[in-house]
Amino acid sequence: MLLEITGLRTYYRIGRDCCRAVDNVSMNISKAENLGLIGESGCGKTTLAKSILRLLPRNAEIVGGSIRFLGTELVDMDEEDIRRIRWGQISLIPQSSMNALNPVHRVGDQVVEAIKIHQRMAKNEAKRRVEDLFGLVGLEKNRMRDYPHQLSGGMKQRVLIAMALALEPSLIIADEPTTALDVITQDQILEELTRLQLKFHNSIMYVTHDISVVAERCHKVAIMYAGKLMEYGSVSDVFTKPLHPYAIGLRNSFPSLRSKSLISIPGSPPSLLSNEKACRFRQRCPLSLDICSEREPTMIEARSKHFVACHRCNETEILTSLEHDREVWQTIKGF
Amino acid sequence: MNAIDFLRKDKFSLAGVVILVFFGCLGLAGPLIAPYDPWYVNRDKEGNPLFLTTPDSTHLLGTDNMGRDILSELLHGARTVLIVGFLTAFIVVFIGANFGLLAGYYGGRIDSILMRITDVVYSIPFTPFIIVLVALLRPSILYVVLALSLLMWRAPARVIRSQVLGLSKRPFIKAAKVSGASDLRIVYLHIAPNIMPLVLLYLATNVAWAITAEAGISFLGLGDPGLVSWGRMLHLCYMVGAIRVAWWWLWPPGICIILVTVAIYLISHAFEEIANPRLRKR
Amino acid sequence: MTLLFVLFRLMPGDPLSGLIGAGFQLTPEVRQALMSRFGLDQPLHMQYLLYLRNLLTGYLGWSLYYQVPVLNIIQSRIWNTLILALSSFVFAYSLALVGGIILAQRQGTKIEALGIVLSAVSRGAPMFWTGMIAISIFSFSLNWLPSHGMHTPGYLAKDIVEQYFSLDFLRHLVLPTVVSGFYFLGLPLLVFKDSLLETLGEDYIELARAKGLSERAVFYKHATRNAIMPMLTTGMTLIGLALEGILYVEVVFSWPGMGREIVLAVWNRDYPLIQGMFFLIAVSIMGMNLLSDMIYGMIDPRITYG
Repeated sequence: MLLEITGLRTYYRIGRDCCRAVDNVSMNISKAENLGLIGESGCGKTTLAKSILRLLPRNAEIVGGSIRFLGTELVDMDEEDIRRIRWGQISLIPQSSMNALNPVHRVGDQVVEAIKIHQRMAKNEAKRRVEDLFGLVGLEKNRMRDYPHQLSGGMKQRVLIAMALALEPSLIIADEPTTALDVITQDQILEELTRLQLKFHNSIMYVTHDISVVAERCHKVAIMYAGKLMEYGSVSDVFTKPLHPYAIGLRNSFPSLRSKSLISIPGSPPSLLSNEKACRFRQRCPLSLDICSEREPTMIEARSKHFVACHRCNETEILTSLEHDREVWQTIKGF
Repeated sequence: MNAIDFLRKDKFSLAGVVILVFFGCLGLAGPLIAPYDPWYVNRDKEGNPLFLTTPDSTHLLGTDNMGRDILSELLHGARTVLIVGFLTAFIVVFIGANFGLLAGYYGGRIDSILMRITDVVYSIPFTPFIIVLVALLRPSILYVVLALSLLMWRAPARVIRSQVLGLSKRPFIKAAKVSGASDLRIVYLHIAPNIMPLVLLYLATNVAWAITAEAGISFLGLGDPGLVSWGRMLHLCYMVGAIRVAWWWLWPPGICIILVTVAIYLISHAFEEIANPRLRKR
Repeated sequence: MTLLFVLFRLMPGDPLSGLIGAGFQLTPEVRQALMSRFGLDQPLHMQYLLYLRNLLTGYLGWSLYYQVPVLNIIQSRIWNTLILALSSFVFAYSLALVGGIILAQRQGTKIEALGIVLSAVSRGAPMFWTGMIAISIFSFSLNWLPSHGMHTPGYLAKDIVEQYFSLDFLRHLVLPTVVSGFYFLGLPLLVFKDSLLETLGEDYIELARAKGLSERAVFYKHATRNAIMPMLTTGMTLIGLALEGILYVEVVFSWPGMGREIVLAVWNRDYPLIQGMFFLIAVSIMGMNLLSDMIYGMIDPRITYG
């Protein structure tokens, strides 16, 4: 098992309030396996990704749970040891390629830097390595001497991919790898990543709100909402037979060639500051009952290797058959 | 959160406002509460002038080399200083903002002409020019204000112009144009409110600058000899060589200047944070 | 092109010399003699042409007070000012750099608050007053450092090295440098601290950390390098402003530099001297602005000259 996250809790301190960005979330990634972490903006998925690499800001803290990488616990590791793991074993393709590269350093130098931090190598050797990497991601060698502002968005993204692969890590966290790009470039980048995966046999964790990316490229999927894990299982299970009302709703709100219309889930996520003992999705859920306001649903293995956190998970088939019925969703209490 | 709330919460600007209000009151009421006439040569019981006396119960801050009460001079000076500061700042910002607004909005030839003028003014060294101008004309407070204003508008003009350039390209301005609003209306009703934070910022810093500049000019002896000003007090103190002995003459005017300018800078720091939210504490 | 404008603007310099008559109580004959000596009795456009011609040949006028060419005065004074300016800047910017880093690392603490107040005081305290305070404390009360001039009276330097590098000179340099430097460091300190904090919030800093760089390396290699820019640009534009401020320090400390000379010239109504110095200062400030534009272009690769 490459990465095992168990009961992770990461909270932010804002003034006197406590924001539960990641609340008791668990998931695993095996070698050469891809996991898609899906959720709306603000659901905690980026915080989760940052928790793995321990890149949290000063007012955030991992208050509970464990993250094991190849058996070693990361949560209480020393700063020095974590630094060695960063990039060498787990690397990151950051969210915004626009600003992720330092504007006053040449792009080639920045990749060389990544290498030299972890490996004793002569500068020339490192440069040659970077040349190869650039070739791998489809960039010309002479681009190494360019500054970030001289490259297009897609090219910058490729530089970041090259940088992420530089030390051949076993796990790459791709944070919204397609957001800032146009559709054609998106596809190219994703193809790139898949192709390189065949060569390097690394795992990728796609953190995104774009379901289609996950459907295409991932083996497993984890759906987060308001800091909590709602559904978790293989892509085929979760996407063909979703069990959680939120997952079903998500499927509706994404355009496909088959369905005639888009049905969105009305409302917006609740504040992460509250700590009520209730299901966080209940206000937007067409199936919510009183029990949903009284007790938080626990994560159970509803089917083989298919986990869901919902009191009515066995009955959600009703929704599935009605899933194209707009009225079901629009008449939720309160909207 | 609106600007007033912000100012209230930030301890610095609060302190700044308190200090400024205090001095504002002094400026208004100073001459009324001053114990003596600042020009009057105070004498002791035998009729001998009280030169350079240390502070005591009759003269809380002592007297200067001509026997004049320093506290009274200080209180009268407050008024001068504040008038010069605020008057200059308003003129400067008025000219500068208008230059910037017009140049930035109209662009093209008007912009080139206005900016050329600004460039020329920019290359004039500040203090020497002021000194020269004030020396040529009669030393009077009006000329001081004039001299200061003639040069200081160049900085706000440039910065406001670049802001306006950016704003003019925004969709809401284009919408206003299309809907037939006259140019003047657009400039003053639509664009101007957006640059207010910047304008306020410059207003504040220019008051501080003007006060310091006036103090400097008076210190060099080029100020209005008919008016009491803190700079002039220091001028006399230096010229007479009293810095050796008369701390009660040397320190108070300086401290007053510092208090006023520091207060303004603290407030302007708050303005800066309003105008540029990225500076706020994270 | 701007130079042309400057020249035209200096036209009012001629009325300056025209006022010579007003400044002095002279008998008509003497006046006439003086006027013809300086070419003032010729029509205005002739004066102007004469002026231009003189400029081109490097003749800036004749000082009335000192009775030597203006250029001589300038030559002897300009180095003094430059030395003082240089040492003040070095002092101010080194402190601003170090201070900015310290304050940025302690964001939100009382120390940062103190730093902000300090920066405000530095900018708000008039230099001449700070100078006077410094003199009264360090020269008179404590008797540690000399209170004016560049050298102790009666000191004769053997050569230029001794003039500028002797202990006596350095002792005289200390107070003016510290006083000026204190005034200059206020704004760069604030700007650097703010830009450092802003830079630290950027995405590429986070990526640098993700790469496994130590905090120290992130700070110095990435953050500082980027944050230093605004400080340098404000510094460049401030250099012009600052030099005039030095004028006050020169006056207070009787430091024989350009600034003090201008003030003396005004006090003495020495118009040619004023005019000549003014012209030179204006030209050098323009040159400085041009220079700073170029340097900025070199440092920041994002700016290209098209």
